[in-house]
Amino acid sequence: MIDRAQYTPGPANVAQVRKDGEKWTLILVKELRHPPEKVWQAITDPAHLRQWAPFDADGNLAAAGATVKLTTVGVPASHITQTTVKRADAPNLLEYTWGDFNMRWELEAVAGGTRLTLWTNIAQPFIAMGAAGWHICFDVLDHLLGGRPLGRIVGPEAMKFPRSSSWDCQSDGLHRHLAILFPPFRRN
Amino acid sequence: MRIKLTSVYVDDQDKALRFYTEVMGFVKKNDFSQGPYRWLTVASPEEPDGTELQLALNNNPAAKTYQETMFQQNQPGAMFFTDDVQADYERMKARGAQFTMPPTDVTASKIAMVKDTCGNLIQLTQLMRWSG
Repeated sequence: MIDRAQYTPGPANVAQVRKDGEKWTLILVKELRHPPEKVWQAITDPAHLRQWAPFDADGNLAAAGATVKLTTVGVPASHITQTTVKRADAPNLLEYTWGDFNMRWELEAVAGGTRLTLWTNIAQPFIAMGAAGWHICFDVLDHLLGGRPLGRIVGPEAMKFPRSSSWDCQSDGLHRHLAILFPPFRRN
Repeated sequence: MRIKLTSVYVDDQDKALRFYTEVMGFVKKNDFSQGPYRWLTVASPEEPDGTELQLALNNNPAAKTYQETMFQQNQPGAMFFTDDVQADYERMKARGAQFTMPPTDVTASKIAMVKDTCGNLIQLTQLMRWSG
């Protein structure tokens, strides 16, 4: 394991935000230099999720109909919700709910690896916080897949990184692009 | 070991934050989210580093039943102490608070009961003298 103290968030990714009625969706894309099968395991297997995701699963998410308890990590209280996997088309598409959030994971084989896209609901005031949090989670996932695990960085630990966000609003006001920028920063 | 936090269940955290800050007069202390979970607390401006009140989303059916039953029995979900219950009553009424009991003298204290708009009755207590 490399030294977590040396970790700083990678360059900003551009995220997309959509508003449908009162419901906001955050769309995040991460290019990973690993095949979809390997990424699929990382997003479905509890032992892998534990190393990067903001929740623990008590069972494998890789089968439609599977009933799994998800425990939110990095919060000061116990928050456990039960989910039933809606779709699991290995290694391309995974859908389930996390509490009242819809989670849709798409894995697309691209030259040199996988383009991972996550659609997740988000409450409007927490868009920037959520995008920054997922950005760090995906960074940690990238390290894990590359055989250089950092251990997951979520909750208050992720919030230690200063960040700023910039919005690029399109004319209809419903589709927005969000960039989370991490200035150079070294943790104490 | 210290008592640093107490919680009330609320049916809507945004609505609760409005009531507990704009009507009650508390200040937002912590507000962050991880996935679908939101940790939201307020504190008294008189004691900004004192005990926090967590406004916890009530999405647990058992807790909902408990909360509704307590409400129907006029049992408060939380109790706060004040030095002047009459002044708080006037101030909160002016901001639209719905009291189910105006300031009322009971043994050794004056109390009032207000709806928090999120499923709870809140008791305001002014101790008239310490007993014991």
